[in-house]
Amino acid sequence: LWTFRVLIRTIVIVGGLTLTYALVESSRPWVGPILAILTVILGVTMAVMPTWRYLIHRWEHTDRAVYLLKGWLVREWRVIPISRIQTIDTMKSPLQQVLRLATLRVTTASTHGAISIEGLDADVAADTARVLTEITQATKGDAT
Amino acid sequence: VTTAPSSPTLSEQHIEAAAKRAKSAEPEGTEVPWQRLDRRVIWVDGVKILLSLAPGLVAMVILDLDLSVVGTWLLVLTAAVGVISAVEDLLRWLKTRYRVTEERVERRTGMLVRKYRYVPRERIRSVDTTARLRHQLAGLRVVNIGTGEQGAAALSLDAVSNRTAEELRRELLRSRPAGAVDRTADPVAEREPTEATADPQEVVLARLRWSWMAYNLVNAWAFLVATFLLWGAYWALQVVGIDLNTWIRRVVDWEELGLGWSIVVIVGGIYAIGVVGLALNFVTENWGFRLTRTITEDGTALRTKQGLFQTREVHRDERRIRGLHIGEPLFWRWMGAADTEVISTGLSNWSVSKEPGSKILPRGPIGEARRIAALVLTDGHLPMDAPLRRHPRAALHRRLFWAILVPGSIAGLLAWLDATNVVPGHFWLFAIGLMPVTCLLAVIAYRALGHTIVGPYVVLRCGLLSRSTAALQNRAVICWTVRQSIVQRWLGLMTVSAATAAGYRFYQAPDLAADKAVTFIYDATPGWMAGFLESTDAA
Repeated sequence: LWTFRVLIRTIVIVGGLTLTYALVESSRPWVGPILAILTVILGVTMAVMPTWRYLIHRWEHTDRAVYLLKGWLVREWRVIPISRIQTIDTMKSPLQQVLRLATLRVTTASTHGAISIEGLDADVAADTARVLTEITQATKGDAT
Repeated sequence: VTTAPSSPTLSEQHIEAAAKRAKSAEPEGTEVPWQRLDRRVIWVDGVKILLSLAPGLVAMVILDLDLSVVGTWLLVLTAAVGVISAVEDLLRWLKTRYRVTEERVERRTGMLVRKYRYVPRERIRSVDTTARLRHQLAGLRVVNIGTGEQGAAALSLDAVSNRTAEELRRELLRSRPAGAVDRTADPVAEREPTEATADPQEVVLARLRWSWMAYNLVNAWAFLVATFLLWGAYWALQVVGIDLNTWIRRVVDWEELGLGWSIVVIVGGIYAIGVVGLALNFVTENWGFRLTRTITEDGTALRTKQGLFQTREVHRDERRIRGLHIGEPLFWRWMGAADTEVISTGLSNWSVSKEPGSKILPRGPIGEARRIAALVLTDGHLPMDAPLRRHPRAALHRRLFWAILVPGSIAGLLAWLDATNVVPGHFWLFAIGLMPVTCLLAVIAYRALGHTIVGPYVVLRCGLLSRSTAALQNRAVICWTVRQSIVQRWLGLMTVSAATAAGYRFYQAPDLAADKAVTFIYDATPGWMAGFLESTDAA
C-alpha cells in the first residue's frame, strides 16, 4: 500500500517538475537543483519507507483499550479505552480494494482522538470491527 | 455523538406528521400549547423603521445639506435595508411559534419556507440570554439554546420577555423534568411571577475591577480598531459632505513638522484613538461583570453576566466542567495578566463574533485567575497552584537546535538564491541576524514547559506565544497520543498529548523524558496502559 502510494506521489512530483524544467526556460537555474534533491529524497523514501513502516506499525486491542503504534520518521503511540469509543468504521480506498486491504477507524468524541489502523487484511478488519463493537456495547459510560 | 438533529426544511404535511409523532410520544394529557414570541417585538420593529428613516430625513429636511449623488443613494439604501429587515422581523414574529415539552424544545418558523426544528432536552448543554440595546429598552431577551455544536446556537428565540427568558432558562437547565406533569404542562405562560422573581441562591465569586482595564488596553489590536474607526468616520462624514482629510490638514501642518515627527504623530494619534476604542469596548462589554455560582435544581452552575448595551448571561453546568485552562499570552505574561477559561463539554471555545462561552473572567491579573481557579474547582485540589515538574534539559537542546537550524537554513537558501541572482540583495544576512532572537524564544519556550499530576487532575503547560496551563480531570481524557520524531529519539524525548471532548479538544506536554512519559500516563490514568507496556518496551 505504502509502496504504491509513494510511487504515485513520486511520479506526480518529479514528473511535474521535469515538465516545468523542460517547458519554462527561465526557471531552469533554480528548478534544476530542487529537482535533483527531491528525486534523491523520494528515491530513498521509496526504497526504505514501506519496509520500515511495516516493521514499526503495531496495533492491538484488549477488552479495555485499543492501542496503536505507527509512523516511521515520527513515531506515534495512541491509546483509547473502550469506554470512550464512539464509532467504529472500516473503509476501503480503491487502491486498498485492489490489494484486499482495509482501514479500521475508531473515533471518539474528540476530533483529535481518533485511531485509524491502515492496511489491515480486509477480513481481519471486519472481524476486529465486529468484536470491538460487541465489547463497546457491553461497556458502560457516555463516551465523553 | 453530540450533534443535535439537523433542522430539515419540511413541507407542511411533514411538519404536521412530525408534530403528531411528537405528540404521540408524549404522555397523555400533556399537550403543550404553542407559544408566540413576545408582543413587544412589534414595537421594537416599529421604532426600528422610524430610526432607519431618520438619518436621511434629518440630513435632507432639517439640515438641508447638499448631498452628493452617492451620498443620497447610500442614505436610501440604508433606509431601505432598515425598513426591509424590520418588516421581515415582523413577519417572523407572526409566523414563529415555539413550545417546550417533556422531551424537546420545538420551534416552527418561516413565511415562504417553513421550518420546523426541535432539540431534545437532554442534549441541551447551555442556555444563554443576550439583549441588544433595543431589546433591553423593551425588556426583551434573546434566548440561545446550545447543544455544544460548533458555530451558531442550535435554536434561538428572538425575542421573549425578560421573565419568560428567565423561566425558560430554569426550565431547560433542569436536566430531567422530574416527572411532575403539572409543572411542565403549562411551562411558560402561567407560572406565578413570584417564583420567577424569587432570587435563586447565588454566591458571587468575582466582580469586575476597573484596574483590569489596563491589561486590556495595551494591545496591538488598537491599531486595527483605530483604522476601522477612522475608516468608518471617513465614510460617514463623506456622505454628509465633510472631507475628513482636508479637515485634519487644516489642524496639523505636515510640512512644518517634518517627516520623522509626522510619523510619530500619526502613529501616536492612531494608537490613542485605538486605545480609546478598546477602552470603550471593554467598558461596554464587561459592564457590571459578575461571576456567580448559582444553585440549580440538580447541581450548580457557573453564571456570568456582563455588558452595558448588549447584556449577556451564560450558564455553565458544573457537572460538565472537566477542568480549567489559563492562557498567558507572551507580553501579557510579563505584566502578570491571564485569560481564564473552563474546560467543559458542550461549550464552544472559539467564535468570531463574541467572547467564547467558556471564558469565565475578562483578562485580568494572574493572582485573580488563580483565586478563581481554586473557587471553581470545588473538589479541594489546587492544580493551578501546584509546582510543575520541569522537563529534561534535552528539551531545551531540541528547541535551540530548531532555533539555529531554521534561520540557518533560510539563510542558506537565500544566500544560494542570491548567488543565482533570483533574489537581489543580501537578505540572508537578516536571517542570520534573527538567530539570537530565535534562541531567546527557544529559552522562553523551554521555561514554559511543565507537567504534573494533582489528585484527579492532569496539569499540562506549554506554549511560546501563549503559555497555556491546562488542568484536566483524568476522567475527561479520551485518548493519549505519544509522538516521537527522529530528533526526539536522539535526545530521548517524547511529546504526550491528551485528547478530550471538552475545550480545545487536545492539550499537550511536549518533550517529556522518554522513560517519564509512560509513567506519567500510567499515573494519570491507571489501568489503561496495562496491555500496552510490553509493546512499548519491544519498540
